[in-house]
Amino acid sequence: MTAADLHRPAPGSVPAAGTRRVRAVAGWRLARLYLVSRRVPMALALLAGLGGLLWAALHWHWNIAGGPAARLFIPLTIQAGAAAVIAVTTYGPFGESERAAGRWLPWLRLSAAVALTGVAFGALAAGAAAGGIPGGTLALLRNFGGMAGIGLLSAVVLGGAFGWAGPMAYLLITEGALAHRSATPWVWPTRPPHDRGGAICACLVLAAGLVLIAVRGPRESGRESGPAS
Amino acid sequence: MTAAAAAPVRHRTPRATSAVPLSAARLLRVELRRNTMPWILPLIAALLWFDSYRPSTGASPLYGLRTFWNMGEGRTIIDFGPFVAGVAAWMGSRDGRRGLTDLVTATARPRWAAQLATWAATAIWAVAAYLVFVGVMFAVYAQQGVGGTPPWWYVAVGATAVTAFSAAGFAIGAYWPSRFAAPVAAFGGFLAMFLSAHIGFSHPSGWALILPTNSSGSFDGSAQADSGIFYPWLPDLPIARIMFLTGIAVAALGVTGLPARAGGRWLRGAAAVLTLAGAALAGTAVGLAGTAQESAHGVVIPTLHDAANDAPITYTPVCGRAAGVPVCLNPAYRRWLPDITAALAPVLDEVAGLPGAPARTTQVAAAYPSGGNGPPQPITFGGQPPVLRMQLGLLNMPGPCGFCLGPTTEQFAGEMRLLFAHAFVGAGDSPGSPAQQAVQAALLQGAGIPFAAQPGLMAFTENFPGPGPGAATGPVYAAARRLASLPAEARNAWLTAHLAALRAGRLTPTDLP
Repeated sequence: MTAADLHRPAPGSVPAAGTRRVRAVAGWRLARLYLVSRRVPMALALLAGLGGLLWAALHWHWNIAGGPAARLFIPLTIQAGAAAVIAVTTYGPFGESERAAGRWLPWLRLSAAVALTGVAFGALAAGAAAGGIPGGTLALLRNFGGMAGIGLLSAVVLGGAFGWAGPMAYLLITEGALAHRSATPWVWPTRPPHDRGGAICACLVLAAGLVLIAVRGPRESGRESGPAS
Repeated sequence: MTAAAAAPVRHRTPRATSAVPLSAARLLRVELRRNTMPWILPLIAALLWFDSYRPSTGASPLYGLRTFWNMGEGRTIIDFGPFVAGVAAWMGSRDGRRGLTDLVTATARPRWAAQLATWAATAIWAVAAYLVFVGVMFAVYAQQGVGGTPPWWYVAVGATAVTAFSAAGFAIGAYWPSRFAAPVAAFGGFLAMFLSAHIGFSHPSGWALILPTNSSGSFDGSAQADSGIFYPWLPDLPIARIMFLTGIAVAALGVTGLPARAGGRWLRGAAAVLTLAGAALAGTAVGLAGTAQESAHGVVIPTLHDAANDAPITYTPVCGRAAGVPVCLNPAYRRWLPDITAALAPVLDEVAGLPGAPARTTQVAAAYPSGGNGPPQPITFGGQPPVLRMQLGLLNMPGPCGFCLGPTTEQFAGEMRLLFAHAFVGAGDSPGSPAQQAVQAALLQGAGIPFAAQPGLMAFTENFPGPGPGAATGPVYAAARRLASLPAEARNAWLTAHLAALRAGRLTPTDLP
């Protein structure tokens, strides 16, 4: 028997694994295990909590006296927090053991990121229903979408465990840009809601984040002390 | 020979206690090598350059102004702290996250001691990086010739704040061993620092001074730009803040030693005492900040104040000449000496030979009245022979001006001439009598500032007590035009005869020739 023989089913074996039902069950099991190992249930709870926090901030008019940076501060911090939660879910404590499950890993990564981004936007939009979010839902979509992209990109560069560092750094840069009245489209929260340049930059960053997280996955450090440890 | 006699001599084993420091050092070395903090430092360095250093270069090259954003408003702490808290939470949650808690609890060393080694390694990396990054920033400032002395006490506050962030983040991670502990600690830390900075805007005194990103105090209070130039940075408030942040750090570390698995009863008792001591220290610091008073040199906390810090900094002035009159400045203002001599020369030339003309001009430390009536006029006369005293710390110097629209050299020259003429006629902190306003206008006209431009100049000059923008018309300007139209000899003769009465406010515009 050679190694090549291992890839061929044994003569006379029952092709049960090839049935559609078994494949569907196996696929569902793979997806469920993938989501559970990435702590997606906890992420969903946190995203719901952030949506509730946004609702409370807008409903009870939590505000900070000051300029544009202060008015946007609480909504932007909550949006960056949601982006950080999505980025951190890409982390796998044992690397990506799903590699052994075939060629579905990029689709698992992409589906999880897209689904979580959608759920997070839904939670934040529900929170924004209390009214009074600066720039409205359009600005929320742009700001949060772009920051989710930054979170995914930082997960690719730094590792899933430190994916939160990207949205955190971007939040600091945005807050400084608002204080100094900088208006580059790459800092899209400083731009008006209907600004095309800001929207294009946010979309580009989100697309880059989704593509890279799907194709490359989060960084895995070879060293135990690496950022992804 | 018996077997007993043949047995090798047994040396007494070293006391176990002597091995403790060695093994602790070894453990710390291992934790330093395996720490995650170094991996996040390049990102922090880039952020510090972009967010703390870059905006500061728009301020005047004086340490009180150049470091207002990154030290006074604590921007370096905001840029550093959340990341340190996040990484510390990651390190604190390490054993719990990997399900190793039971395993490491069974080791010889108490669990709490091993946790403290992990925290110490994280804090050492963070504080060392903070000191190196800030040191590089100050070295760049020194290379740029920034005047004065750096606010080292505020650097110490920043380093202590980084320590406190690491301790608080570590405690969060130790109690919540989850991948989400790091972002929660980071965003929580950011929220706390940002709120602290904004509370500072609305609470310039009282307990809120304890907040590490509250710029009120030596940066935004009475001292402003002259701290570190004419008098030392007062350490009272930084000491209170260091106490507060140390208290938070100690309490957070104490909390990590409270669970049953942390160690024996004595160790947990010590952790409880440490927690209470930290809370007491932080509370004491808040109480001390509540007693803070604003002095001419910054914030004074009576319990912490050392009178030795009130001694002014000695210096050798740098001097030039304007219309033959010596003009001397603090060396920190050396770069503006040509601007000031050029600005003062026309007005000094106008009053040359008059009895009240200054024999010399000197810079003095800026001082605010304690009555809260706003800043005084930056240029005053005093002494015999008269000396022109300039409180340049109250002015925006020409060139970069941070978040304000800094004056150009021409605008600065106009401001200096206006303030000189205002002081020369004896108007003091008020707009002056109509006759004083008229003579002031005539002197400015003679110094090259047309009547039509003077209302705009008064409006531009910060805190100037004169009228706002408007046309240069009315009885005041009519009298000024009459005086300005006289030949210089006649004008000087009239001023020589009437200067005392003019300064006393006894003249009216009709008394002018």
